[in-house]
Amino acid sequence: MKTAQTIYEEGSHKWLAIVRDATRPGYLIDTNEYLITVGDDAILLDPGGSEIFPAVFSALSTQFDPRRLDKVFASHQDPDIASSLSMWLEFNPSVKCYVSWLWASFVPHFGGQADTFIPIPDSGMDILVGGQRLQAVPAHYLHSSGNFHLYDPKAKILFSGDVGAALLPADETGLFVENFDRHIRHAEGFHRRWMGSDRAKRDWCARVAAMDIDMLCPQHGAIYQGEDVKRFIDWFANLEVGVLKS
Amino acid sequence: MGSHLMSVANHDAGGELRRIVRINEEIKKVVATAFKINLMAMNAIFLAKRAGQSALGFGVLSNELRRFAMDLQRQMETLRDATYGSVATVTTLVKQSRVDRVLERTRILCKGQGRQSVEQRILTRQSSDDGHLRKVAALNRRLSQLIADTVQLVELGSVLARSAKIEAAYGGGFSSALMQVSSDFEQTISEIQSSLDNLTKHQAREFAA
Repeated sequence: MKTAQTIYEEGSHKWLAIVRDATRPGYLIDTNEYLITVGDDAILLDPGGSEIFPAVFSALSTQFDPRRLDKVFASHQDPDIASSLSMWLEFNPSVKCYVSWLWASFVPHFGGQADTFIPIPDSGMDILVGGQRLQAVPAHYLHSSGNFHLYDPKAKILFSGDVGAALLPADETGLFVENFDRHIRHAEGFHRRWMGSDRAKRDWCARVAAMDIDMLCPQHGAIYQGEDVKRFIDWFANLEVGVLKS
Repeated sequence: MGSHLMSVANHDAGGELRRIVRINEEIKKVVATAFKINLMAMNAIFLAKRAGQSALGFGVLSNELRRFAMDLQRQMETLRDATYGSVATVTTLVKQSRVDRVLERTRILCKGQGRQSVEQRILTRQSSDDGHLRKVAALNRRLSQLIADTVQLVELGSVLARSAKIEAAYGGGFSSALMQVSSDFEQTISEIQSSLDNLTKHQAREFAA
């Protein structure tokens, strides 16, 4: 079962990482979900696939009333990102889903109606949660052609979707990256294969290097914090991507 | 609480969908055969006209068989419409059943407030689930009735084909040709009866389940 762990807290402003489901069947990729709460308001980032909904819901409900959740952010259109949307709508039919305009007519195949979706333009947009301004940051072609990350300038946390993802062995269950060099080996093959555009990668690295980031939170694997954030950006900038084999 | 609430989840919605597909496949066979009978009846009418006075009775029966083929085609269209309509209803049932199963797994995992929220949601869904199960039961009854009506209609076709065989014996010089045609009728109608037997068996088995 997943657990919800607080990774940032200042007043009523919190980031919860919903991670590590030991009971998850091996044929499902492990995912991280993040809940940002500001007062009574909240947004769930990459709510996950419908198969892991029970684990995410139960972990989230230990910290937040799930019926009050009315915003989700989908970094892109993959099933492990958003196929649980119909389940969240069961609990609150007025949930709004922020997703790239490119996928706004594809993701409804997972559930929802026309007014469920708030399409994000290619240039990104601000999303207000409890008065806190969050920024949808363009990350197109990393890996999806319509892809966004979410930056919280107050918490200095960047949710980076599949960028930074690592497919960790079962015995590596740490929430944060502890040894960058050892960790990054589990990220290399994933980034080479899944990130298809070198130009998009360079644009993203330049954009993100200019941001003030304390934590970089991917959708799979451990969280980068402190110096490891810069290490990751530099490593990624130098990685050859869009190749079938390393 | 779980077992009471999970009526749709326990219902074999996938089985319902497979049953509709099987019925539709049998219907396609009968529709193709009904079209064949229609052509065979037209040929029989021309043959009876050529045979003249000695095949008057056969001519009357050929006209009746053609009318039967057209009635059968209409009946199969109605049956096909009913199964097409069922696909939408059963697909909704499949989706509901999946949501119910996920909710039940969520209920088991959750504690405290989360569990209460899930139980409330499951209760709210109950009336919609019941409504859907009633709709599926009504569709099943309608399909069974339509299949029974078709069996009766084909029984009439079988009687007509046997009578045509008897009339063929009075066909004078055309007797063997008329006999061949009426035997073909009998054979084709027997194929339809076999398909309808399958349909009735599928329907009866699913109802029993």
